[in-house]
Amino acid sequence: MTKKKIYSLDKNYSADIFFKRPDKYKEIEIISSKFENIITMGSCNSYTPASFRKNALSIQLTKFNRIIEFDKSQKLITVEAGIMLSDLFNFTLARGLWVPQIPGYPTITIGGAIASNSHGKSCGFHGTIKKQIKRIKIFHKLHGWLNLSNEENKDIFDLTIGGLGLTGSIVEVQLRLEELSGNNFVTKIIETDSSNDTVKKINFDVKKETYCYSWNRSDSFKNFGKGFVFQNELNISSNNKLTKNIKLNNSDINKNFIINFWNKYSVFFAQSVYQNYFKFLKSKQHEESFQKAIFPFIGKEFYFKLFGKKGFLESQIIVPFDKTEVFIDEVETIFKKHDPLITLYSLKNFKGEQKNLQFENDGICFTFDFVKNSKNLFFMDELDKICEKHLLTPSIIKDSRLKLETIEKCYKDLNRFKEEINKFDNKRIYKSTLTDKLMI
Amino acid sequence: MSNLIVGASSGLGREIAYEFARNSKNLILISRNLKDLEILKSDLEIKFKIEVNVFQLDFSDLNKVSKFILDNKKVLEKIDGVLFPIGMMRENDNIKNSNDDLIGIFSANFYSINFFITHILNIFEEKKNGFIVGFGSISGAIGREINVSYSSAKRALENYFESLIISNLKNHIKVQFYILGYLDTNLSFEKKLLLPKGSPVNLAKIVYKNLDKKGIKKFFPFWWIFIDMAIKILPFFITKKIIKFFN
Ligand SMILES: Cc1cc2nc3c(=O)[nH]c(=O)nc-3n(C[C@H](O)[C@H](O)[C@H](O)COP(=O)(O)OP(=O)(O)OC[C@H]3O[C@@H](n4cnc5c(N)ncnc54)[C@H](O)[C@@H]3O)c2cc1C
Repeated sequence: MTKKKIYSLDKNYSADIFFKRPDKYKEIEIISSKFENIITMGSCNSYTPASFRKNALSIQLTKFNRIIEFDKSQKLITVEAGIMLSDLFNFTLARGLWVPQIPGYPTITIGGAIASNSHGKSCGFHGTIKKQIKRIKIFHKLHGWLNLSNEENKDIFDLTIGGLGLTGSIVEVQLRLEELSGNNFVTKIIETDSSNDTVKKINFDVKKETYCYSWNRSDSFKNFGKGFVFQNELNISSNNKLTKNIKLNNSDINKNFIINFWNKYSVFFAQSVYQNYFKFLKSKQHEESFQKAIFPFIGKEFYFKLFGKKGFLESQIIVPFDKTEVFIDEVETIFKKHDPLITLYSLKNFKGEQKNLQFENDGICFTFDFVKNSKNLFFMDELDKICEKHLLTPSIIKDSRLKLETIEKCYKDLNRFKEEINKFDNKRIYKSTLTDKLMI
Repeated sequence: MSNLIVGASSGLGREIAYEFARNSKNLILISRNLKDLEILKSDLEIKFKIEVNVFQLDFSDLNKVSKFILDNKKVLEKIDGVLFPIGMMRENDNIKNSNDDLIGIFSANFYSINFFITHILNIFEEKKNGFIVGFGSISGAIGREINVSYSSAKRALENYFESLIISNLKNHIKVQFYILGYLDTNLSFEKKLLLPKGSPVNLAKIVYKNLDKKGIKKFFPFWWIFIDMAIKILPFFITKKIIKFFN
């Protein structure tokens, strides 16, 4: 069988892999039986090498993208796990229903979202996707077909959500849907003058269903943290059924330009233009389509392409509310010292309880995108030290550089998770480059 | 009224089913894989509000096909048309095939289709209407070292459909035949091929659009017509030399 070279979205990892995309149930069994090492792949939109490993089989389930059951009165939908968010939502939104805890890009699959325990723009209110999962059906080379839920195989159910594909291939999922009261959003733009000010403004009312995130400048120490909080609230006055389908941009998010266009000047220029646009040209309250508010990266894929072949790095960290001030203080100190090149700096609210490798906690989630260079790597090492010192929660699925040492300190369940995976899959069949790094 | 698709659970057959569903046509789907058929049925019924009936049937077993026809006369009487986007390959299909392999491959790719059409023709002739769509393969254009029986069966099928077109020129039965080059299905997934693959979604659209046309024989993707012509124009002793050169 021929091999294929594949890259993580951040371009820091690549591998020659065996690649199969079955479209029949029997084929999942047959293909899995032929390989010693397997990992399931969704759309391979992860920043990290989570769905591939050198010389292993990546079994891509994007042909398993159908709706199996839909019960409008119970607000339940059963789908195959390879369904992309856009396809799922084009069906449910037309019926006034959706899943709020979805990641910000429409080609991501439900299987990928579950295996990374995804969150959406309203994670301070809705938490993560695990709240919506009623039942999962997996295929595991050693165990065959298994139904998982809180009532059946609960231990494996818990390991599967946010389990990075280590319990086998998620093939079917039953999701609880939420009503969507409105088909677009009213976006309020609130100016902030520092990171601490952003935290105050973003954390204004966690009991309200708002889709809140910030955009902050990061081009210089002087500007660090200045920016805006975007508060999207559902526009109740609008019809609650989405009539327009979510449109995918033809641009392939995994492809990029040869050279990197981000440097001190281009970041300064881009951030100044962006800030002045929202400050002077955009009204402080405006209507925004569902697609724009929930999938802000559609049409902006060039942002990733601009990093060139060398790629980029992202760090995402949940900081408990009582530690945000000290975190910001320490980040500003290392920023002043190392002057890193950060292309994106953003905050959002978070709610949840960390279990296994699930990226969740109560607090504020800080996101930084970096150009890949030695200065930034050094800065990120310093960030790791801050995480370790304050026992913060760094994202494993986003930061391909994150060291095992840091993960061990910040994820108290890591060793227990490893043991349970080893017990369930004693031949350690399901593995990826990412989980190799975690020594699972 | 319904449209019957044989080989509907994957690849081109699945895309054709979606194209018909998008056009609000009720469907009868046949395939070897019941689980896949049932999931497809749910998806089509939920999304397009059409009626879908599914039958598990293995076309590589002529006796089963015969029994199916006998058992489902009433169902077949109600169909508007039938499509055969079916193709069965075996891994070691070479010049020395076992009896079982030969029978299996020929039944799935030729005999069963031929047999099925014979029965359907009687129904369509009585109704004075109906369409029959077949799918050949460019592999049938010339002999080869691999997929020997498959390509022979596809060549036979092409011949049979030509006869079908000619025999139905004067009535209301519409017959169409598509000769397929590389298609972007999971059979060709990640295979490095000399020519680009055609999209099964686009082909499904073309098939649906052409249903009313009589006596079509087309290549898809279209450029395969030139390759087919070249193969047929060249004397075999030259073709033989070219093959030897590349081997
Ligand atoms: C532009 C962009 C924005 C994003 N925004 C967010 C966000 O707001 N919130 C958030 O939480 N995340 C976000 N992400 C991250 C994204 O949600 C995850 O990386 C997600 O896992 C990608 O899903 P995928 O379908 O591409 O799966 P892949 O990248 O192919 O796989 C990811 C992981 O899921 C596993 N997996 C995939 N499918 C299955 C299956 N069927 N069975 C078992 N395991 C499976 C893989 O083994 C792997 O471990 C974003 C990513 C991008 C590119």
